[in-house]
Amino acid sequence: MIDRRQFIRQCLHTAGAAGVAGAVPQLLLPTPAGAAQGSVLVVRRGEDIPLLVRQTLDALGGMGRFVRPGETVVVKPNIGWDRPVEMAANTHPLVVQTVVQLCLEAGAGKVQVFDRTCNDPRRCYVSSGIQQAVNSLNSSKAKIVHMDRRAYRELDIPSGKALNRWSFYMPALEADRLINLPVAKHHSISTLTLGMKNLMGVIGGNRGMLHRKIAESLADLNSVIHSDLTLIDATRILLANGPQGGRLEDVEIRNTLIASPQVVTADAYAATLFGYQPQQIETIVAGHQRGLGEINLAKVKQL
Amino acid sequence: MRVDRKLRITVQTISLLGFLWLFLQTEYRGTDELAYPVSLLFRLDPLAFLAALFSPGTLSLFVLWPAVLLILLTLLLGRFFCGWFCPLGSLLDLFGGPLRQPGRLFRGWPKVKYYLLAGLVLAALCGLQLFGLFDPLSIFLRSLTLVVNPVWNLLANGLFDWLYQAKVPLVSPAADVVYPFFRDYLLAFHQPVFLLGFFTALTLLLLILLERVQPRFWCRNVCPLGALLGICSRYSLLQRSPQADCPECSLCSTKCRMGATNEDSAQSAECIRCLDCYDFCPWQRIEFHFTQRSSGRLDLSRRSLLTAAAGGALLAPLVAAAPLSARQRNDLIRPPGAVVEEEFLRSCIRCGECMKVCIGGALHPDFLRGGTFSLWSPVLVARLGYCEYDCTLCGQVCPTGAIRLLDIQEKRKTKIGLAVIDKNRCLPFARGEECLVCEEHCPTGKKAIVFDRRKVLVGSEVKEFQQPRVLSALCIGCGICETRCPVAGRSAIVVTNEGESRTPTRLV
Repeated sequence: MIDRRQFIRQCLHTAGAAGVAGAVPQLLLPTPAGAAQGSVLVVRRGEDIPLLVRQTLDALGGMGRFVRPGETVVVKPNIGWDRPVEMAANTHPLVVQTVVQLCLEAGAGKVQVFDRTCNDPRRCYVSSGIQQAVNSLNSSKAKIVHMDRRAYRELDIPSGKALNRWSFYMPALEADRLINLPVAKHHSISTLTLGMKNLMGVIGGNRGMLHRKIAESLADLNSVIHSDLTLIDATRILLANGPQGGRLEDVEIRNTLIASPQVVTADAYAATLFGYQPQQIETIVAGHQRGLGEINLAKVKQL
Repeated sequence: MRVDRKLRITVQTISLLGFLWLFLQTEYRGTDELAYPVSLLFRLDPLAFLAALFSPGTLSLFVLWPAVLLILLTLLLGRFFCGWFCPLGSLLDLFGGPLRQPGRLFRGWPKVKYYLLAGLVLAALCGLQLFGLFDPLSIFLRSLTLVVNPVWNLLANGLFDWLYQAKVPLVSPAADVVYPFFRDYLLAFHQPVFLLGFFTALTLLLLILLERVQPRFWCRNVCPLGALLGICSRYSLLQRSPQADCPECSLCSTKCRMGATNEDSAQSAECIRCLDCYDFCPWQRIEFHFTQRSSGRLDLSRRSLLTAAAGGALLAPLVAAAPLSARQRNDLIRPPGAVVEEEFLRSCIRCGECMKVCIGGALHPDFLRGGTFSLWSPVLVARLGYCEYDCTLCGQVCPTGAIRLLDIQEKRKTKIGLAVIDKNRCLPFARGEECLVCEEHCPTGKKAIVFDRRKVLVGSEVKEFQQPRVLSALCIGCGICETRCPVAGRSAIVVTNEGESRTPTRLV
């Protein structure tokens, strides 16, 4: 539910955004990668998940702003755990399905969905419901695939503070577009696991080692893995016993989606759902310092 | 269709391929329950039946009825299983063929297998079950699991990887086309690796090399399953004539792979109905027909038989007289659903099905953890792999009930052990560094690993840390913490078998 004041503000924002978008000739639109000069953010609430995904993306100007015809897109949900949908350990399958569908509608040449899971990948893909959700689109262009063990490569991290070299999953880096679809969860060291942490699913190596300096490590990794769009699934959020949960008592239904072209901006807002200020989350602070998005929500333009 | 040698070879090939296919299906394929009766080979196995019969606990005829059927069919048709279906026999024919020396006369010791069987039966009755070490079906499947499959995967993946990286014109694109088929149907999802692989390989190699000494050396002289089926075969209704070498020709004694017409063998017990003699008999004299008359006595020496039986009976107390390994060590972790240790060792026939199916690569063949004769029985080595929280596959494939089939609710509550933190190695304790990997992966809904926030003096500085602690009431010993612990080499959190559900006295 939104109150009257919010409603008016949203209307004005939408009208404003539409006005701006209409005023700028298509050719002059900045490339999607640099889409956010100032930080923008969309937050939408609703119970119909496919509709909610569409509304959220529409507010950002539509999937067409992020995916161009013929492009290769990687959609990276959280499929980390062998847990069913209701446990909120993985991204909601309907969010994944609708995002893939929108990519196809925007003319994507190829959409790949994958994650380097924590439990057995086959079980995670099935239990999360995501394998079934993507396959039911019946599109030859959209596939959910297991990680190809041959496609990891060690790369230098030039601006790295905690890490100067790590193994990355090349199909995620080489794709034209990377769409980051985390689920908002409690996590006992980084406090929360959101967009920045979700990209740990496209790296190789002994990931456990990263937890020693988790904030700087995640900032380092995110400086290499560029995501074009972060859409945080907070349709239900996991409040305790994260990141895999397993008890319905720890899950809270929030019917919310958060989207931004910048991973830190989306994460900063998502932190507030758990009652935190973004400045309290070290990972978000580190990400902001590297220029991965805006931490101060007052400076963010909510569409 | 004519029943002849060609038909036998066809059946042998098809059944070997069938068992290989079942082997490949012994893996998680997207459903919690396996779609096929993958351990069929052992449900057919009379030795598995005996192991289950002689061990405490109920005998599950629901699972093992095919073994009874096999005995009945053997009473009808003779020792056909060895010639037509036994996958180890087929392997020996396949790989031993080129090693064999035609025309060489070597009698061997065909009676030894009966003495061995007598010893094994008595040992099993007295509490020491060793069928699994000599069961040809166990030898076949555990060799496949521990040796052939890992090596095949390494070779195939190595080749595909090389072609992927080298980008050889024409060849690499072709490999890319066939790779998905190999990956989805013929290769394992994770590269299998097992302890004892090399040792197991040597045992298989030995059996193949013995083909040089004598065709089907194993089947003629050692195989206790062959002996059991041979005894039944002696009374079978289908018999071969002539019974022994004809006076004018002794081709059978050199050409028969089982030496069934030799003077010191009971023909009907040795003949595996391979039907080769149809083809090589120059007189077309060979016939198989149903008759009431059994042929040849086994003619075992009463003294040897008694010695073997007594040896078997004495071996049990001899082994039992050793100190219990459970008193000395706590790293003997058995799969979830395993029955109490004594009963477990008496039921488990070392077939390796559970190790093949284990989704986390956690189960490995034991060498000495569980005592002298725990060899090849499954143990969970948590540093190498963990027990997946929602998986019940090992209980589904176990043919003898050594690992009980648990429903998922029961599985989640079954403690196979307890994780213990080694504070000398655990990062937050030993080095004053943040780490949470064990807690992060802990799968119990309410986590069995929690953090204590502590102020710690690191050098001259007071730092505040989260330090992990295991809640023994919640920990089920799945071992994912030990597998994932980022400390190099030996883990800083180790699963012990303290508190395992199957041994009430070990409950903490």
